[in-house]
Amino acid sequence: MSSVSERFERLFSNVDAVFLFDPSSSYFERFESIEDAAVIVVSPENDLGADNHVSLPITFEDFDDRVHFGVEGALDAGYVDDGDTVVCAASVFDDEIDTVGRVRISSKAHSGVYDLLVNSRPDETVIRDVIELAIELGKKGQKGSPVGALFVVGDAGKVMNKSRPLSYNPFEKSHVNVGDPIVKVMLKEFSRLDGAFVISDSGKIVSAYRYLEPSAEGVDIPKGLGARHMAAGAITRDTNAIAIVLSESDGLVRAFKAGDLVLEIDPEEY
Amino acid sequence: MMDDVLDLVSQPAIQAILVLFIGLIAGYILGRLVTRLLNILGIEGIVEGTGTERWLQRMGTSTAVVIGRLVSIFIYVGAVLAFLLGLGAIDAGLFWSLATAWLPHLFVAIFVLIIGVIIADKVELLVSERLQGIKLPEVSLIPSVVKYSLIFVAILIALGQVGVHVLALLVLLIVYVLGLVLFTLVALQDFLASGAAGIYLLLREPYTIGDEVVVGEASGIVQEIDVFVTYIESDEVEYIVPNRQVIREGIVRKR
Repeated sequence: MSSVSERFERLFSNVDAVFLFDPSSSYFERFESIEDAAVIVVSPENDLGADNHVSLPITFEDFDDRVHFGVEGALDAGYVDDGDTVVCAASVFDDEIDTVGRVRISSKAHSGVYDLLVNSRPDETVIRDVIELAIELGKKGQKGSPVGALFVVGDAGKVMNKSRPLSYNPFEKSHVNVGDPIVKVMLKEFSRLDGAFVISDSGKIVSAYRYLEPSAEGVDIPKGLGARHMAAGAITRDTNAIAIVLSESDGLVRAFKAGDLVLEIDPEEY
Repeated sequence: MMDDVLDLVSQPAIQAILVLFIGLIAGYILGRLVTRLLNILGIEGIVEGTGTERWLQRMGTSTAVVIGRLVSIFIYVGAVLAFLLGLGAIDAGLFWSLATAWLPHLFVAIFVLIIGVIIADKVELLVSERLQGIKLPEVSLIPSVVKYSLIFVAILIALGQVGVHVLALLVLLIVYVLGLVLFTLVALQDFLASGAAGIYLLLREPYTIGDEVVVGEASGIVQEIDVFVTYIESDEVEYIVPNRQVIREGIVRKR
């Protein structure tokens, strides 16, 4: 006679690390005593006080997306190594953790999104806020019709010196932070006009309607993307800023760092 | 029949027993009601995680139950006193002095003590949660200091209620608080000055992010202004200038 758990035994043998995606505190406590594998918590904030923690930029719906980003973060942080075998546990159908996947880590599938979040000049939470903002803007659009937007985050002083105003800056002498709830409404209105939003390292919206004039020399972005993406790639090459672009034509949100495209997400999927 | 009952009730001993009986029932019901009320008001959520609550839970009870019990016990004591008065075991003067002066004060004292300990526990928890990010062993001292300061104040109030002379302890408390205020002022002096300057800088924005400025020795592009400091960056270095210094030394804006 054999039981189901015996049949699944191979799933859990020779595991180097266990990834818990958004575990509840009681769930996490059950794993604290594990000795033969490292326990890595992947969640937006490290509120459980886990030793090994990877923060996710956005809550991904897809299990494999979540695993992909979680593993990449752990790899960058040095919690796991190339070739390790890990088990990922996440909640897909219910609020409880109900899905388990066995993954072999390969550093080839490196997209740089974790590097974008953690090793960039602006605060991690600021980048996350801006990505969420772009996704929301992409989902709803401006009165139903798709909009495009370009956010330049970080190194604001330099960015301001490499750009010029297209119009009166609505954010002058205001102290609006991208994390504020009111921003969603404001940006939706302002995104109607062309130009980039400039956001400082700490998340203050410095300006809207900026025309970026970096030197686009040597910027290599995928063909078929428009002027907005080219400007985004170029400004991140020229300064230490990162750029997050919502494409008007295909509705995707893309992130650029140091002139390279590092993240591409479809707002409809989140 | 009716007369018999009335006759019986009019006897002082029976009256006393009746009072005792009603007192005991009222005490029990009121205690239960208080516990219920506290639970409805969500006391569980407030005291959750505090040392007192955990200790009580190990003893098989909870904060709400303990406070309810306390209310019951005081009504029991009151009822017993009334019973003794009815029997003539104590005279009326003693009864009234006990029931109006001593008993309420004792009740308030114990109540203040319990609430004080709970609040102290809760504040300790909040402070230590706030400081969780700072992994310094010295920092763990702060929550305890806050907790015992609060318990000290609670004990002072409780003792004052019971009528113990607390003047010496009060002087100690005042010296302690004054010392704390003095230390904080000295420690935060620079921050206060910078904060005041920062508020002016943020409201009036004599310079903004992207301007090229010179403040004292620091020259470069303004990257960030917050309440306390201004970040000025040149090609090689980043200056973090306290806003106090910005106001004191003036700003040179390059065009």
